[in-house]
Amino acid sequence: MPHEPLDIDQQVEDLIRGPQYALPQAEKDRVLLDVLRERCHKIALVCPAYGRFLDRLGTPPETWRSLADVPLLPVAMFKHFFLTAVPPSEIVRELHSSSTSGQRPSRIPIDKTTAFRQTRALASILKEHLGGQRRPYLVLDAAESAAAGDTLSARGAAIRGVGNFASQTFFALRKTPEGDLESDWPAIEDFFRKYAAQPILLFGFTFMVWTRFVERAEERNLQFNASQAILLHSGGWKKLAARAVSKEQFNRRTAAVLGCSPEAILDFYGMIEQVGTVFVDCASGNKHAPAFADVVIRRPHTLEPVAVGEAGIIEVLSTLPASYPGQAILTEDQGVLLGVDDCPCGRKGSYFRFTKRIEQAEARGCGDTFAQAREI
Amino acid sequence: MVVFRITPEGMHPAADSLEPLVEGLNLNREWLAKIPIDNLVALFADFAGKILRDPRTKSLEGCMFLSAWLGENNLRQLLQLNLNGNPAYLDGFQPLGRNYLAAKPQGLAAMWMAGNVATLPMFSLVPALLAKNVCLMKLADPDPAGMDKLLAVLAEAQAGELRGAELLEAVAVIWFDYHNRALNEQMSLAADVKIVWGGAEAIRAISALPRREHCGEIVFGPKYSIGLIDRERLEGDPAKLEDAVAGFVRDISVFDQRACSAPQTIFLERNAKRSLREVGEIFARQFAKLPPKPGLDSYTTMQIANVRARWAMDENRDVIASTDGANWTVCLDRELALKEAVQSRTIFLTEIEAWRDIIPLLSPKVQTVGLAFGRSEDALEFAEAAARAGVARCVRPGIMNNYESPWDGKLLINHLVRWVTLKL
Repeated sequence: MPHEPLDIDQQVEDLIRGPQYALPQAEKDRVLLDVLRERCHKIALVCPAYGRFLDRLGTPPETWRSLADVPLLPVAMFKHFFLTAVPPSEIVRELHSSSTSGQRPSRIPIDKTTAFRQTRALASILKEHLGGQRRPYLVLDAAESAAAGDTLSARGAAIRGVGNFASQTFFALRKTPEGDLESDWPAIEDFFRKYAAQPILLFGFTFMVWTRFVERAEERNLQFNASQAILLHSGGWKKLAARAVSKEQFNRRTAAVLGCSPEAILDFYGMIEQVGTVFVDCASGNKHAPAFADVVIRRPHTLEPVAVGEAGIIEVLSTLPASYPGQAILTEDQGVLLGVDDCPCGRKGSYFRFTKRIEQAEARGCGDTFAQAREI
Repeated sequence: MVVFRITPEGMHPAADSLEPLVEGLNLNREWLAKIPIDNLVALFADFAGKILRDPRTKSLEGCMFLSAWLGENNLRQLLQLNLNGNPAYLDGFQPLGRNYLAAKPQGLAAMWMAGNVATLPMFSLVPALLAKNVCLMKLADPDPAGMDKLLAVLAEAQAGELRGAELLEAVAVIWFDYHNRALNEQMSLAADVKIVWGGAEAIRAISALPRREHCGEIVFGPKYSIGLIDRERLEGDPAKLEDAVAGFVRDISVFDQRACSAPQTIFLERNAKRSLREVGEIFARQFAKLPPKPGLDSYTTMQIANVRARWAMDENRDVIASTDGANWTVCLDRELALKEAVQSRTIFLTEIEAWRDIIPLLSPKVQTVGLAFGRSEDALEFAEAAARAGVARCVRPGIMNNYESPWDGKLLINHLVRWVTLKL
């Protein structure tokens, strides 16, 4: 079936520029599906590995009837293959995931178009949560984490992305000679002395915010009276859950240290494989997909979309990537779909909550011989 | 209460320590040792019939095979093989030449079970009871997964004066959290013989527990199993090939491929008649005949999605997968290696030049090889080489998961008795 000519670049631009949470789900499905169908088809033509993936495991793009029909690419594939849809000369930056336990990191090639879109898309989302005003920005990390170069880590990408809302940027942590990170209290206290009375922005990775800032500040009985502060944070909850720190406790105690409302502590869900596409908490504590992206929660085993109220594996869809096949990614996270178009906060579309990373739940018996080497 | 006991009534909190359970079991040692072996065999034969009829057990996965295995003829053969041809050694001294020989129970058999096969505990418990050991068995999961139901039916079995409920006085099936080192130590120190089933981590941890000097240890697992189809079978009668593939698919589907005897990689010789893809399609047709899996956890679903994508994206590999979710997957390649087990109806078909190529891959880690050979001379030659390399079993497709003695190269009942000589 021939594709109708479609200016998908213009469509993506319109989605980025427009309001981020106004499209009802049915309309969003239609708009995004047109773009993704065309984009996946084009990428398959120039990225042989992705072409084989669609040929062998997918269905032809023209038969896709909903976003759930777009073939799911498991996120781990970015560790196993260098998936690029552009020639090396057009790659302006390579994003890398943090590699834990000796695993290979993800490698994400970014061309100029994608980089530009990612920056503006993140700005467009955050604008709806932060307003348009630039703010003094305190990064709860070290300057080295955001250093510029040809490659960029997940942390660096996030710090720099949020930094688009900064009038001035400050760093709250510093590297010790041993390579650890410690709080730079003179710098932190100086920041709050100067800016606590005005709207400010803070960002950090959840575990570091807690261990290097909140707990240390509590030990020192510090409270900063920054009533107009907004703290964005992202990253796994596993280490905090191990310390029996709930999200409610995190928000309450962090807000108490900053002197702001717990509702100004905003968790967002995102990943290096889809930079620019973030799912930010609303005031009701639910995560919403922006206009140019979506989320589908999949049932284990059948991989069918779940019903409202059901938990499953999180799939994230985005129209931003043009330089790699990151349009429909099956994550290694679990979440629960809470509703569609009816969040109390008023935002439209599907909304969900992240629940946990997917982990091997049980010993898989004596046939699980090479479990230590598992890397598939 | 941190120790839970699984009884015919279900699972319930039992104690904070294993001491009272161990004391209770030890009180039954004398009594159990005096039950004639014929009575024990007859009781288990009655149990074998009952589990197939009883609504509580008849639909348990592996019940049919368990029933056949518990049959009187099978148990007698098992005892003969394990006890130097004469099960009566278990009842007392028997003449052997000019002297006498007896097989006495070790005492208390402590068993740590793996959680992968619902009926597995019975394949450990019954041999230990036939050898007249009192049994302390720890299940892997808090969910008894049918063991409570099997115990309930065993309690109702009867042979002459011997009732199953009485025999269960010599058994304590328990569960406690595997992190509880104190209880694991108590269990290990109470044992006269330890039987450990499970993965590498569990085996290492349990083997490291302190034990009494005389206490032996019998370890089952971890293992990996494979299949091998030779050129003659691939080029020969299509019906025979179809049968072999159907057998392999049965071996793959039973216990969701979590048993150490389930094939994970099947090697096939390059041949003039059928391409790797064509053989993959035969497997796909057989998989499509299976009923859908009852369910699947997120982790395994993700593993299956990952392996499918990896094989699909690689120009030197290929994949055929069910379209109804993560139901079954056939991965095709030419890499001479044992692939990481994904399980849950995921099979790696690997084309090789000749069956001799896989000999270097064999080691004591490989438990069972499913052999679909057209040339029986070659099958024998392969089996000799495989056995020398450490493989425990070479069997035809379709019976790879059939528990038998020896298992993992061991005659279990023989390890569960002490041989005593009398020379007058």
